[in-house]
Amino acid sequence: MKLLNLPYEKYKLNNGLEVILHKDTSLPLVSVNIWYKVGSAYEEKGKTGLAHLFEHMMFQGSENVPKEMHFRYIQEAGGTLNGSTNFDRTNYYEKLPSNSLELALWLESDRMGYFLSALTKEKLDNQKSVVANERLERYDNQPYGLAWELVLKNLYPEGHPYSWATIGYLDDIKNYTLEDVQNFFRVHYTPDNAALVIAGDIELNKTKDLIDKYFGSIIPSVQKKEPAITDFRINKNIIIEHLDNVQLDRLYLAWHTDKIYTNDDPTLDVLADILSGSKNSRLHKRLVFDEEISQDVSAFQFSGKFGGMFMIISTAKPGVSLDRINKIIFDEIETVINRGVEDKELIKTKNGIKASYIYSMQSLDNIADRLNMYNFYLNEPNKFNFDLLRYNNINNKDVADVCRKYLSSPFVELRVISNKKNK
Amino acid sequence: MMINRKVKPESEKELFFNLPEIQEVTLDNGLRIIYIQKEKLPVTRLNLMIECGSKFDQAGKKGLSNLTSMVLDEGADGLSALEISDGFDTLGSNFTVNSDDESINLKLQTLTEQLESSLNLFSKVLLKPDFRHLDFERQKRKVLTRLLQLSDEPDFTAQRILEYLVFSQSNPYAYPSLGYIEDIENLEIDDLKKYYSGKFSPSNSNLVAAGNSKFEDFIKVIQNYFNDWNSSVERTDLTYDNKFEKKKIFLFNKKDSVQSEIRIGHSSVKRNSYSFFPRLLLNAILGGQFTSRINLNLREAKGYTYGAFSNFNYFKDSAFFYVSTSVSNENTVDAINEIYSELENIRNGVSDAELEFAKSSIIKKFPSNFETYRQITGNLATKVIHSLPNSFFNSYIDNVSSVSSELIKKAAQDLILPDNAFCVIVGDKNKLEDSLKTTGMDIIEVDDKGKIL
Repeated sequence: MKLLNLPYEKYKLNNGLEVILHKDTSLPLVSVNIWYKVGSAYEEKGKTGLAHLFEHMMFQGSENVPKEMHFRYIQEAGGTLNGSTNFDRTNYYEKLPSNSLELALWLESDRMGYFLSALTKEKLDNQKSVVANERLERYDNQPYGLAWELVLKNLYPEGHPYSWATIGYLDDIKNYTLEDVQNFFRVHYTPDNAALVIAGDIELNKTKDLIDKYFGSIIPSVQKKEPAITDFRINKNIIIEHLDNVQLDRLYLAWHTDKIYTNDDPTLDVLADILSGSKNSRLHKRLVFDEEISQDVSAFQFSGKFGGMFMIISTAKPGVSLDRINKIIFDEIETVINRGVEDKELIKTKNGIKASYIYSMQSLDNIADRLNMYNFYLNEPNKFNFDLLRYNNINNKDVADVCRKYLSSPFVELRVISNKKNK
Repeated sequence: MMINRKVKPESEKELFFNLPEIQEVTLDNGLRIIYIQKEKLPVTRLNLMIECGSKFDQAGKKGLSNLTSMVLDEGADGLSALEISDGFDTLGSNFTVNSDDESINLKLQTLTEQLESSLNLFSKVLLKPDFRHLDFERQKRKVLTRLLQLSDEPDFTAQRILEYLVFSQSNPYAYPSLGYIEDIENLEIDDLKKYYSGKFSPSNSNLVAAGNSKFEDFIKVIQNYFNDWNSSVERTDLTYDNKFEKKKIFLFNKKDSVQSEIRIGHSSVKRNSYSFFPRLLLNAILGGQFTSRINLNLREAKGYTYGAFSNFNYFKDSAFFYVSTSVSNENTVDAINEIYSELENIRNGVSDAELEFAKSSIIKKFPSNFETYRQITGNLATKVIHSLPNSFFNSYIDNVSSVSSELIKKAAQDLILPDNAFCVIVGDKNKLEDSLKTTGMDIIEVDDKGKIL
């Protein structure tokens, strides 16, 4: 599809920083998007959550940018900004009126090259406290908020880079030292471990000059180590029960699958959609619509650089035992394995995926982030069409095959049970 | 190139941004259509807003509008719920029906090549809903369970309590759109049918849309599917009283909470009865942005919270102002005191630097408010709800520019009322009670709806 073929220019600075430029003049806006090739998978035992904490520290100013001014300068220019951390990477992005591109490059380069001199214990203590509160608000005080962490901990062996959640454990968050943060910067926040995407209303030559001006003199530092992983599979089912301050019980099932952009990865997306992606999807129809024993059900393939997993999550209606839900889920899995899926289900899923790709092209921030994502995983930014075509070639048998290959293996079953006494 | 890192780069020459043209027509049946053409993608997005939201829910029937919206697309013109959803899904179209305080909204996002096929289904749902008993009962059970589930969520509970308390009980905005469990249990299918026939009409509806088609082409398609819609309805007049009382703490005891969810606020005059732009800038300085006073104080200076924000929430005929945050148990009282003192302080006015900063960020961000189809239909929906003229968008930048610091100060004194601001806390009473007494405010325990125990 022409719409999904994005022209770009890609090159490397002498210090190793990768640069990707994409011109789109439909609005006077520009998105600047940097991926640092570090996420929580690169943390060590006892220091979980450090990558995410570090993301917070990057907004606390650098040598030439006082605390709070990073946010202020971008907002003053009419921009929006944020960052996010996941297992594999940390990204930072801003979208501004295109006449303020230089401001964004100044800010991003200052914290890439001149960060450590502005780092203080006071700033660290403040952000440790903010992140501890973030954890309380979004995990500990949320219904089912600890489920994700529990699934990861049980599905992956200790030490596996995906065996803890990106937010990190509260005790670890409280114990980071200034030295931890400094070391993390030296090892991971170096230009040869980052990629810069600029997308939007730009002049290519001028933009290259500006990039050179601001990023060219940054010196690369220590080289990082990739986390060691062994291909791990659990060999028997692990069933855990967790009491939570909730009204309704909820079931989580998780299987090991394959990494991102491997052959089976898109087929597992399709399987997830056929199981739970629409009102008439198999699990939704049976659990939520016909039998009404679940309030909701969702399934998804989650995949990254170091592993993948398939999850099915379903919330029980009041008084319904999780065993009943569990049984139906496995019935439906059996049915897919034995009888495959129908053409019309496959068409529905493929059409939905195609349309949502097109809808997602509305936002420049999303386009910039995708260019970085494809470059990160596939070493080629313009993989929009490829990404979508992965789904086109999937047939009924492929879906049944991945279902058998992965979902008949041992799994983690987490049962979150209401602690309310009057049940 | 030479570089001096000490110096912040300035932006280059002024940018030119042409606002997309707003096009409008009213069909013979009274349906008003407001459209913006945007050619970037082969996509159309539309929102049919029927003014029959939960503000019309009568006492004892709280939740009727929402349940009507939930049953509407569960069967129409002989098609079952699953056939309807499969229809949209196979087209790659996203179709939803929801109810908010003002309207029931039928929303569609589709590839433009599938617009006609999508509208074919859309119009069946709108014009020929079946309201079958079976579907009604299923959706009723679904929303009842949903309400049970939401009672676990501290932010939902805190917001519901605040909105109940800041308005007088005769004000329909005091009640949650989803309704109350005990009212929903008593609803009958005939309530929904009556609501539908009494409230769904082109004369109280607006269709806002953005897409890549030409306006004329879009209108032709719309006419094909909506011309036959000819029901008429009676208008219902509602009253919207505000209530101002002395500040108090309202506590909902959620045992074993590791945080307190906090809302501090009061009702406010509606959007159109006070100059909008001073209010917009005032809130931007006080708590509307990351770099606003409240967040910088509570998060970046004190480290009490992941975030703290303020907002004027505008309904068509009422409004309320509130600050929201969540903090650990031990910082609850300090956070509350800090918020009240920020509300006091802003009444002394703002600095020129703060005002210039807020103006700059709002003015320069303006073009990006029209980036996506969703943003455009959202802007048009705001225009409909508050009856804004088209010139609202064209004169926006001039209007922001011309606000003086005197006007901000006056707005703060008129509209930020710490002595009347209720403080709602959802948290663990045992862990909070003693420290809350040090505020000197009355502490009143409420249930999860905001009713005094």
